[in-house]
Amino acid sequence: MIRVRDLSKSYSEVRAVDGVSFDVAAGEVVGLLGPNGAGKSTTMKILTGFLYPDGGEVWVDGRPVDPEDPDSKAPIGYLPETTPLYPRMRVGEYLDFIGRMRGLGRAERRDAAERVLGDCGLEGWERRRIGTLSKGYRQRVGLAQALFGDPKVLVLDEPTSGLDPAEITRIRALIERLGRTKTVVLSTHVLAEVQETCARVIILAGGRVVADGATSELAEEGRVELRITLTGLDDRDVCSVFAALETVRSARRLRTAHPESSGRVTVALEVHERWSAADEVQALAVARGWRILELGHDLPSLERVFLDRTEARSIASHREEVR
Amino acid sequence: MRGITAVFRREWSAAVTSPVAWVATVLAVLGLHAAFFFLGFPVGDRALPSFWVGRTASLDALFAWIPVFFAVLAPALTMASWAEERRAGTDEILLTLPVKTRALVAGKWLAAWVLLGAITTVAVLPVAFAVDSVGPLDWGTVWGGLIGAWMFAAAAVALGLAASALAREELVAFLLSAALLFGLWSAGLFVRVLPGHLAEVAWYASPSLHFLDSGARGVIDARDACYFLLFVLAGLSVNAAVVEGRRYG
Repeated sequence: MIRVRDLSKSYSEVRAVDGVSFDVAAGEVVGLLGPNGAGKSTTMKILTGFLYPDGGEVWVDGRPVDPEDPDSKAPIGYLPETTPLYPRMRVGEYLDFIGRMRGLGRAERRDAAERVLGDCGLEGWERRRIGTLSKGYRQRVGLAQALFGDPKVLVLDEPTSGLDPAEITRIRALIERLGRTKTVVLSTHVLAEVQETCARVIILAGGRVVADGATSELAEEGRVELRITLTGLDDRDVCSVFAALETVRSARRLRTAHPESSGRVTVALEVHERWSAADEVQALAVARGWRILELGHDLPSLERVFLDRTEARSIASHREEVR
Repeated sequence: MRGITAVFRREWSAAVTSPVAWVATVLAVLGLHAAFFFLGFPVGDRALPSFWVGRTASLDALFAWIPVFFAVLAPALTMASWAEERRAGTDEILLTLPVKTRALVAGKWLAAWVLLGAITTVAVLPVAFAVDSVGPLDWGTVWGGLIGAWMFAAAAVALGLAASALAREELVAFLLSAALLFGLWSAGLFVRVLPGHLAEVAWYASPSLHFLDSGARGVIDARDACYFLLFVLAGLSVNAAVVEGRRYG
């Protein structure tokens, strides 16, 4: 349904999107994840025909998306990040405007309005001016706008941003329901949202795709991590702690290290097997005279994968900081 | 072209529910009437007495003020058209809907044109009836003047929309188009004191002169109609190019 190939886009000196490629099959719900400035919104703006890319191409429903070809944009419904609406218009009037812009006839507009008002929980709100609505209801109007005319593809840029928990739950449930009949691409910072609503996740960082796979499989990719807080160290000991922990047989790598107040350090150690690794850490502590303040573990999660793939900080820089 | 009527309806509805547009319209119409009845047109070498002083059944002084009337009202009616869409981010939805940019521009222009034309008609006709009630008014001149004013209005709002597309803020859009329209009007005031070729350039460039020398006198000249048509096309082309340019980030 969606094919993106070698997409690139720069703003002045900044490369916002750099060679992004992915496919989305019909009926898939895909989450675009990434830190601020990862290129999610720019990718969506190109996908919906708002922006021209500098290079690459986007195909939706078998046609290349061209901002000046209305038919290529017809299968796409889009909710931008800030939910821009006309505050002086009434809800029903606004949706009717969207229907007219989509070239729907009077009867089609009436049916479409009835359907999306029901889907988005806006029945009885048609006469209200948009400017008088709460943020949650404005978000519903934005979603209703994106759904109007029954587009095959929905592109939602942070659809739950800034909403209260009840409204977030409602919008997520709606997205999940929509995903049964439509192709949905949504961007978010909230990992739980992706796990709850998206079967597949694409992680962007620095304008590139750094991970792409089924949400459940990616989450499993995250390794078990031991959290170790040691105390009673002098400054020279801190560096030797890192070297010693890397000798733990079950260790994959030392991921992060945070030197704290004098003589204390917290280390995250990725391991293959947590129990034997914990035993080895304890044995090392006894042999070297470290005092363990905390020794715990985190199970694999999408959050771990996200941090792992997007975090630029390396253990080397931590070592520099310690020195 | 899909979208023109939808945009026309939305823009029209936005304008008639905008308090700013109403206040600007009422003030401009009152100003126009006051100028016609009490002030006349005391500017440049085309000075005309006020209605009460001249005691002539003619709307010449009223039509002489139309370029100034438009220089205030056209920017007020168009300043929000693109600048507000851009500020609020609503252009992001507009430009992703299945319509051509040209249709968006044409719909906005049509709405602003019909609105300004309607306001002008509403401003001129009561004065015409009042004058007709006290003396023999040449209605041919009135209708000719109104047709000329509608052509001039088309050009003024095309310029206002281009300014709104170029500016990020409504106020900047207003000041930019008002300055351009006042500048083109005042260029016409100096046409008789300028050297030959400069006077010619000023005459060709100024929409006010194309209106005052024909429409305002009840004459519809094909050359002036062509001039206004080209002016509108140029304004709309700039508008579409600026909006399209936004798609390149």
